[in-house]
Amino acid sequence: MNESVVLSGSLSFMPLGDILQLLGATNGTGVLRLINRYAPEPGFIYFMEGNPVNAQNGSVDGLEALYSLFGWLEGSFEFTREAIFADRQITKSRMGIILEGMKRLDDGVTKKIGPVTAAETIAETNRSGGSGTIIKGPLVDYMYVVDEEDFFNGEHIVEEGKHGSWMWVILEGVVDIVKEASPVPVHILRIGDGAFIGSMASFLLQGHIRTATAVAVGNVQLGVLDSQRLAQEYAGMSLEFRIFLSSLDKRLKQLTDQILERHKGKNNVDDILKGKKILIRQEKSDSKQFFMIKQGRAVVVRNTPNGPIVLGHLYKGDYFGEVPFLHLGQEPEGAAVYASESIKIVKIETEGLQREYFHLSTTFKNIVDNMATCISVTSDVVCGACSIKTLPADESTLRQDT
Amino acid sequence: MAIFNLKKKEIECKVVFYGPGRCGKTTNLEYIFKSYKKQITGEMVSINTEGDRTLFFDFLPMGLGKIKGCDVRVQLYTVPGQVKYSSTRKLVLRGVDGIVFVADSLEVRREKNMLSLKDLQANLKEYGKSIFKVPLILQYNKRDLADEGIPLMSTEQMEKDLNRQLKVPSFAASAVKGAGVGVTLKACLMETLKSLQREFKWAE
Repeated sequence: MNESVVLSGSLSFMPLGDILQLLGATNGTGVLRLINRYAPEPGFIYFMEGNPVNAQNGSVDGLEALYSLFGWLEGSFEFTREAIFADRQITKSRMGIILEGMKRLDDGVTKKIGPVTAAETIAETNRSGGSGTIIKGPLVDYMYVVDEEDFFNGEHIVEEGKHGSWMWVILEGVVDIVKEASPVPVHILRIGDGAFIGSMASFLLQGHIRTATAVAVGNVQLGVLDSQRLAQEYAGMSLEFRIFLSSLDKRLKQLTDQILERHKGKNNVDDILKGKKILIRQEKSDSKQFFMIKQGRAVVVRNTPNGPIVLGHLYKGDYFGEVPFLHLGQEPEGAAVYASESIKIVKIETEGLQREYFHLSTTFKNIVDNMATCISVTSDVVCGACSIKTLPADESTLRQDT
Repeated sequence: MAIFNLKKKEIECKVVFYGPGRCGKTTNLEYIFKSYKKQITGEMVSINTEGDRTLFFDFLPMGLGKIKGCDVRVQLYTVPGQVKYSSTRKLVLRGVDGIVFVADSLEVRREKNMLSLKDLQANLKEYGKSIFKVPLILQYNKRDLADEGIPLMSTEQMEKDLNRQLKVPSFAASAVKGAGVGVTLKACLMETLKSLQREFKWAE
């Protein structure tokens, strides 16, 4: 917990150019830390009397690093007041940096770091067979942290199949999420600072059973979340929103199960798709439609160069379609939805859900965002894990847009 | 929005030179930078943007006095005209307090002037401002070229083209020679301060 944070906020509301001007006007001395969930490491800019003197973005430092940070259009920032002993590597005037930074961004010299590029890098890491992507969350809201716990390298934080309803947020360090399987556990995801351990299902019933194992990679510091407060907030939500959340949670659980299936080499996609009609095509669409299943069942399928891959099944009470306020990476852009003949669906207005989403507490919103990111990334992992060529995509109804 | 810096006891406001490419925005600013050296704090920032340069410097206008005990400091900017420089334009135009629209007197640039003015209106609208409300001065630049026999539009025609609806103060100028640059800037600063005074009811 750092008490000297004097300014913090969201980069999408206040871009770096504006922050630099503001810190310049207030003659701030200290460190500006930028966090972008699509970048592996935070960015740092060091200020003396309102002027940037050095910066760091990954392995790059100095002026180049500072310019590259202009590409971070999303994420959060915090400024801490502290004495700076760093070398003065940057001597260019503040306004010169800002204008040059903006120009480079507009000229395309500086790369924009956001959801689009993240999808590319994930695809990249999948191809190379590594698990280089680390899912991170925004800055931790300490209001909800009741205790801190430390875990050492290799220690199990939670174990699959055991009971427990605690939720943690990672304050510092990296955690692997694995599924127990024989002969060796299957690696699902790697999560880092700001991400959450424990699922939404923790609020649903007492004595919740853990669906995966979390293992500390290196030393990890966790914050125990105030579960009572979160449960209270959850209880205060509308029924519709709660069902929406548990529907998302089910999706994530199914995705991790799919990875396991893939590893076993199971693939019965043609059986599953047999007799099903297409409801939503996999394509970029402007129609923001959102539905709930009243009766029957549906299946979410991503079309990949290796053929269609099942991402999850939907049943009565599940939601599907475009969620305007979350990036799930599934239908309609990243997947198609097929349904049984007997399906009955109702159209849902997303305004109510969206309003409720925006009124969530910071921590709860972070949990929901984290879940969405996990769904998006795990979908990619499921498809990446499918190295075996399964089905030629010869059906004319399938459209390939990714 | 002018920024009140209570630490420094300063009011910082933003004046932007807008206009079609090659109309002389930069020349205007360069002339100001050269001839008002004493009132300028810090260096001039110059960024090479495609087709034009983007300039910036701080300016302490003399003779405007203090407002509520605060010095007035003016940030002068030019804006890159190209569509692709939207981030830069946004940064510069956001919170602008006064604008000088530099129009090119060359006959062949007539349409360019009108398009650029329209563009300004659209840009301001994006940041929630109306071109009819923001302090604005027109400058008809390059009047000196008439001596070299290059066909220019008459100021009356330019007035009709650009200022018929706006009805803002306008000045003929020759930025290369410095003629009309000072009066344009002064008029713009006056308008800007008047508007700030209205906004904050300082004049009470």
